[in-house]
Amino acid sequence: MRFSLNFVKELIKVDLPAEELAQLLTMAGIEVEHFEKQGEDFLFDIEITSNRYDWLSIVGIAREISACLGERFSIKYPKIVKSPLIKDKQIKIESSADCPFYIARRIRGVKVSISPAHLKERITNCKINSINNVVDITNYCMLKWGNPLHSFDEDKIEGSIYVRRARDGEKFIGIDEKERILNSENLVIADEKKVIALAGVMGAKNTEVTEKTKNVLLEAAIFSPLRIRHSRRFAGIDTDSSYRFERQVFADYLEYASAQASQLIAEIAGAEFTGYLGAGKKPRVTDKKITLDLDKLNEYLGAEYQKSKVKSILVNLGFIVKESGKFKFLLSAPKHRFDITREVDVYEEISRIYGYDKIKERIPAIPHKVVKNEIYEFKKELRQQLSVLGLSEIITYSVEADEDLGKLGCNNLIKLVNPLRAQENSLRPSLSLGLIKTVSYNLNRSRANLRFFEIANVYSRQANGFCELPHLSIGLCEEEKDLFYLKGIIEEIFKFLNINDFEFKEKSFSFCANALEIFVNKKSAGFLGKLDEKIKNEFGLKKELYLSELDIASLCAAKKLKCYAQISPYPVVFRDISIAIHKDKHFSDVEKIIKEKEEYICDYRIIDTYQGKDLEKDFYAFSLRVFYQSKERTLTSEEVDQIHNAIRELLSKQEGIRLR
Amino acid sequence: MEIKVKKLEEEFGKDLLIAQTPSDVEALRIKYLGRKAEINQLFSIVPSLSKEAKGVWGKNLNILKNKITFALSEKSRGLNTKEEKIDLTYPSARLTRGSRHILNVVSEEICSVFEKLGFTVVEGTEIEDEWHNFSALNIPLDHPSRDAFDTFYLDIPQPQEKHRGKFLLRSHTSPSQARVMKLSKPPIAVVSPGRVYRPDSVDASHSFMFHQVEGFAVDENINFAHLKGVLLNFARLFFSPDVNLRLRPHFFPFTEPSAEVDISCFICKGKQEKCSLCKGKGWLEILGCGMIHPEVLKNCGIDPKKYKGFAFGMGVERPAMLKYGINDIRLFYENDVKFLEQF
Repeated sequence: MRFSLNFVKELIKVDLPAEELAQLLTMAGIEVEHFEKQGEDFLFDIEITSNRYDWLSIVGIAREISACLGERFSIKYPKIVKSPLIKDKQIKIESSADCPFYIARRIRGVKVSISPAHLKERITNCKINSINNVVDITNYCMLKWGNPLHSFDEDKIEGSIYVRRARDGEKFIGIDEKERILNSENLVIADEKKVIALAGVMGAKNTEVTEKTKNVLLEAAIFSPLRIRHSRRFAGIDTDSSYRFERQVFADYLEYASAQASQLIAEIAGAEFTGYLGAGKKPRVTDKKITLDLDKLNEYLGAEYQKSKVKSILVNLGFIVKESGKFKFLLSAPKHRFDITREVDVYEEISRIYGYDKIKERIPAIPHKVVKNEIYEFKKELRQQLSVLGLSEIITYSVEADEDLGKLGCNNLIKLVNPLRAQENSLRPSLSLGLIKTVSYNLNRSRANLRFFEIANVYSRQANGFCELPHLSIGLCEEEKDLFYLKGIIEEIFKFLNINDFEFKEKSFSFCANALEIFVNKKSAGFLGKLDEKIKNEFGLKKELYLSELDIASLCAAKKLKCYAQISPYPVVFRDISIAIHKDKHFSDVEKIIKEKEEYICDYRIIDTYQGKDLEKDFYAFSLRVFYQSKERTLTSEEVDQIHNAIRELLSKQEGIRLR
Repeated sequence: MEIKVKKLEEEFGKDLLIAQTPSDVEALRIKYLGRKAEINQLFSIVPSLSKEAKGVWGKNLNILKNKITFALSEKSRGLNTKEEKIDLTYPSARLTRGSRHILNVVSEEICSVFEKLGFTVVEGTEIEDEWHNFSALNIPLDHPSRDAFDTFYLDIPQPQEKHRGKFLLRSHTSPSQARVMKLSKPPIAVVSPGRVYRPDSVDASHSFMFHQVEGFAVDENINFAHLKGVLLNFARLFFSPDVNLRLRPHFFPFTEPSAEVDISCFICKGKQEKCSLCKGKGWLEILGCGMIHPEVLKNCGIDPKKYKGFAFGMGVERPAMLKYGINDIRLFYENDVKFLEQF
């Protein structure tokens, strides 16, 4: 909101330089975002919190400035004349919940013209366009009191006035000349035949006050804040009027705003007030009595606020303060403060004006509790280790398009009821899509050496609701790195988590024909695989992507405390075996024999692979280097030869395995 | 045999004197000890000698071989080895290393500052219900933040307990407060980091998914001064040891009194008209906080007459952007390696 300092000065004296005033207001809770000099005036742009509707008026701002300056605020109220009553019209309110109170004043013989300079300056300095003297006066009074008013050209109103919900499909053309189709969420003001205003939001073109207008009907009302909010949202308009109604208006000021506007129109537009009509009841504000205990106040804030100063702050804010015992006050909150209902609300009022800066910082002594968040710590450790393995952590969106997730075979998704866009309408049950998109994004920018991981939650529908679990995804898209590099990363993870009971089993997934299901402690914990050509093309990936996804909870549950393993001081020797193997056989068949055979085998690796014409049909060959070591002594050459030959013999007996 | 051995020894002696460089020595090693060396031919004759001569010459040849080996190694050690100069201005090898995502680093860093004071980390779930996300936190049923314009609702059937309302994606990390307080007894001191969601269109400073850290403490003697102390400690450890705090009164339904917290600009250290960070204001807004509203304590089964608490909530993106000069929130979620590798 913007306010003009000269407008405020109509009500109170302010000698402070603008900069100091800005600082003062900011530290009292009215954040001044910007201020500037305009002619003889200063304009302040302020941010008003949703609980303080009363600051949406010059009266409210002036009251606050007085309190900040340590002064009592008083104001001269206009005289309210309610007679004669209008007898040829009625105001009919359909629902008192939508509109508890509605009043109208009839002003006849207006001469509509441009506003006098002073009036024009007041409202334009508060960011409102000048239209004509009548409209400008209603806006002036809205700015001053916080109660929006509306003026109709009375001669265009046919019969009585109705405050009712719009009918579905009813048309409304506002003074902005745009047509809107209304529905029953909209509250309207209507006459016998037509809609004449979108209540609390905007008047209709058909009854607008123009230069030809002779007689004016001036509306002032209380509308339900919630109804106005829904109504203006459905209509897609936001006005100075709806902004105030949405946040509440003060019923006690309604008559003042209306009376003053009527008075000013009479004065400035040469007209005459000729009638008053009201419907509904002015909402009653109940008097709220609160006991304030000074000791409790200081204990709650950790402050040393002085009694006399506390008292004067409350008085200046409009509280009625009675002393009740040495350190207690009996308070009545100001009537316009709907937000003050209990002691803590008063604490805030006092500390706001006294200053939060008067409270000295202290560090609380938090009793020590040994609580460890295992999963959080585990994820932290895992992130650290994965980056050590050369992977870069990514963060991708949890909400994805159902269409894209469907391509990865994800279905029965949890969907957003109100998605912003179709590309973010479902919760992901897998991290793989985010990974694929990240790789694609980077490849499109010619980035190389892509090694990513992400740790985040995935979501799935369950019979009795939903399930939300943390997952780990890893993706590899790099020259000369293949599925076995990824498998190596997974094994390395198991190594640093000290998980020995793991197993890879071949399995095909809907987006990875070549994949291994990963078992930890005999239970499925994830997969790794090569992304299928078809999916790659669908997402526009130009290179091979190897990816893996693992369940964090399974890893965390399986991890074991590390225990130092004795390092053998004795030499390692190796022997090579050249093996040809039938394509129906697997390396794991060879591996099984080696693993079972000997305690002296400390490692083995493929040093060379070969596919040539001299091999039997459907065979391929590789050289395997087997390393031997004992923990107790140096192995003799003969000993090693003996074990090695035994292995060779076992292998040679296998169908589909030939020694070369 | 004897002549041959003697000749070999003499010849080696001469050659050794001439040798000047390591490559000369290497040439000698090949000549005298290599596969085609004369000494090997002599060795091959040994088996054909008489039994007596066999023993003598086998031994002598071995002695000679050892002598040559020793002399060569002595020679090479004694040589004035002169290193060849390398062009050291050549470009370095291009390495790649793994990296942590800066948002998670910042989030963990924020949490660890509070962990040092005795706070415990508790992560909530991202799928929440209306009760925990709103009602428990004193956010009334007709509050605008509950509108479909401001919160993502999910198509999961409503829970059995009617008061819990609909399921949604949490719009802040504050529901952790309600969850923890319902389950534990004071003293409580918890920080809760995580992802949150709001239907905001994505631009340079908005994202429909972002990160927050919530923190709160509840005990018999907790007060506003403690809140200030804890936050000042955080600001100085996270941003810079010389920053100051400014608490501006504000409004949140779940705290009373409430405040927004600014830190003094750690770039221009106060007022500099053209500061790129604070734009001359001297202050940077970083978080919202306050004393936990008694109604919230009550909703979560804690007696507000006996216990008091403070709470604060901050975004992770904003402090990360301030601290590292990142000017577009989308950079965090695009995961361009050129961005990731900078941290």
